[in-house]
Amino acid sequence: MKHGSVPRFAICTLLLITLLAFAPTASHSSTADENAISIGVVLPVTGKEGKPGQYQKEGIETAIKKINEAGGVFVRDQGKKLPFKVVFYDDESDAAKSASLAERCMISDNVTAVLGGYSTTLGEAESVMADRHQTPWITTGAGATSTFSRGYQFAFGALSPITVLGSDTAQFLGNLMDQHKLKKGLTVAMALENTDHGIDYGNGINQWIEKHPGYLKVVFSEKFEYPGTTDFSGLLQKVKNAKADIFLADAHLQDYITMHRQYLQAGMHHQMVSYGARGPDDAARKALGAGTDYIFAGLWWSKKLNYPQIQQFVNDYKKYTGHEPDSWYAAPAYESVRILAQAIEKAGTLDRIKVRDALRKAELKDSILPGAIFKFGPNGQTGYPFLIVQNKPGDKVDIVLPKQAATGDAVAPIPVR
Amino acid sequence: MNVEDFFNLLKDAVLLAGIYAAMSMGMTVIYGVMKIVNLAHAGFMMLGAYFAFELYYLPERLPASWVERFPLLGHHVDPILGATLALPTFFLFGMGVYWLLVRWLPRSDQPTLASLLLMFGFWQVLQNAGYLIWKNEDRSIFTARTISPPLHLGFLSFSVDRLVVFLAAVSCVVLLQIGMKRSWFGMSVRSLIQNPLASQIVGVNEEKTRRLAFGLGASLAGFAGALLAMLYTFSPDFGSPFQLRSFVIIVLGGLESFSGVAFGALVLALVETFSIQLVPASYQAAISYGLLVVVLLFLPKGIAGLLEKKWRVA
Repeated sequence: MKHGSVPRFAICTLLLITLLAFAPTASHSSTADENAISIGVVLPVTGKEGKPGQYQKEGIETAIKKINEAGGVFVRDQGKKLPFKVVFYDDESDAAKSASLAERCMISDNVTAVLGGYSTTLGEAESVMADRHQTPWITTGAGATSTFSRGYQFAFGALSPITVLGSDTAQFLGNLMDQHKLKKGLTVAMALENTDHGIDYGNGINQWIEKHPGYLKVVFSEKFEYPGTTDFSGLLQKVKNAKADIFLADAHLQDYITMHRQYLQAGMHHQMVSYGARGPDDAARKALGAGTDYIFAGLWWSKKLNYPQIQQFVNDYKKYTGHEPDSWYAAPAYESVRILAQAIEKAGTLDRIKVRDALRKAELKDSILPGAIFKFGPNGQTGYPFLIVQNKPGDKVDIVLPKQAATGDAVAPIPVR
Repeated sequence: MNVEDFFNLLKDAVLLAGIYAAMSMGMTVIYGVMKIVNLAHAGFMMLGAYFAFELYYLPERLPASWVERFPLLGHHVDPILGATLALPTFFLFGMGVYWLLVRWLPRSDQPTLASLLLMFGFWQVLQNAGYLIWKNEDRSIFTARTISPPLHLGFLSFSVDRLVVFLAAVSCVVLLQIGMKRSWFGMSVRSLIQNPLASQIVGVNEEKTRRLAFGLGASLAGFAGALLAMLYTFSPDFGSPFQLRSFVIIVLGGLESFSGVAFGALVLALVETFSIQLVPASYQAAISYGLLVVVLLFLPKGIAGLLEKKWRVA
């Protein structure tokens, strides 16, 4: 049999794929307007992060519609209310495009502030532009602490840090032990995606364990590649061999579904199982049915929160988009616009440095986010508590922590199937 | 690692190799006959996944009156049947694509830039068509087998879904091998792979064989996509990691050898499954692509080339 010239073929193919992967693509945009407050929005509405990106875009647009319908934001040095005008770019879930589009907003479109950056990878890419071009940038979807540990002065984060997700997860397990639902001293196996998100989640858990000896002990912790892992059977075999009592993973939606499918098909069982911020997602419940029952997750928001302002948000969102928010994504994006509006009003100008200074002091006291108060910390990142939710049979999801917001009791340990 | 773990991992690797082989055969057929690297392979797999999905959930979309009148329409089409139906459907689709686009490409005994660009562009078209039709949502097929407990055979445990997918994939590969050995079309394909000029002298209709080969390649990609839909979630950008793995496998297999592809699939699955017992799982991709580099440097004709020195393969 004749064989082709493999190296030449392979080099040509890989070169082409690389060149095409970096080719620019067209996106919708509009330019700045003197009678409006231009804000840049750079989010993925296509590509692998397209769905959460779309939800965040809808959250931003809902807030802008509401503010504009009320006449806009009063800008003192112009002596009038100005509406928001959005300059939107779809970064197609590509980190390089995300960074360059954020830069385009700041330089060419001359916006007052930029919102965007879902998820951590794309947010990281955008974050470097904020200080470079001295433009306030609020990430609506990047929660890793690394973005806010570099001393940036113009970067703000609307998501509580992932380390808090990890520590709140461990705290929840600790509470269950205090309630004698679980025994103290249980062992934990962790499978974490190899990103800042996964690293922070693991760090949060480890930090809590260090501060609270006797509750949990990590006996296995390993990272897996994101994106690109198609098969988790080898990793799950290692988890199985670790013979831990609790399984904690940090994964994106597709990996969560694939990993948990393989987990169930391997007949594995742990006393408690969590995939970080994943759990009640519709796609997972459709994909695995009752297989997702009793998984618990830490969320940045839930429409089940019992604050009166939540219902107003849900109604506004539904009126604008035609559907209710079915996940947390829209809420931090919505609040990012509101806190920016407050900062501009307090600054009384569209000067970017003054808006940045006002953002540092801004505080929403009627926030829809957990704790009802939304403000940024000294490093620019917010720090509200997570909601711990647990899937229940019949597609039900209950908030199980904090206690004052709980809609049901936590089931622990998970019943054996 | 004890003996039980070893054999369970070996079983996992073999199950994985079955699906890897099925998803790579289509790429090999097209490359072998036409010297076209089918960069739209992932697009065909994505469509195959949606094909099985749409068939499975069809009863839920049909008007109730139709289901009442024809009760048979109320039954879900099992994804295995969906995958089987994908074979003729994607065969016709592939031939249509060939007639519309591929036949205009200049002929060459090496991959041309024009063919790479065309197939990459077509992949983008398929992907964007997917976004238009199905939006950017993660879909999956939930059957009774999806979360059924594993089957036990001694100390080996088998996921029912994976076993079913493996059996379907291996059956397809075996039937393909038999077809390639015994049918006139198979002999034409093999002769074109071995020596295009000589095959035309002995009466092989090159144009017809190329058209059928492209159809066969597309049908195998659609079939593999439908099988993968039973194991993974999918969206319109589904298929890229599998396409890359197919690329590694066919290079391992020597590009044009069906037996080589089977070997390549097994080697990749073994390496991926066992390597992460020794190194962190995050190095899985690095190991796979490291293997590709090693093969390119030391075995430029792939595993088939190595074996060919001792006996003729394929």
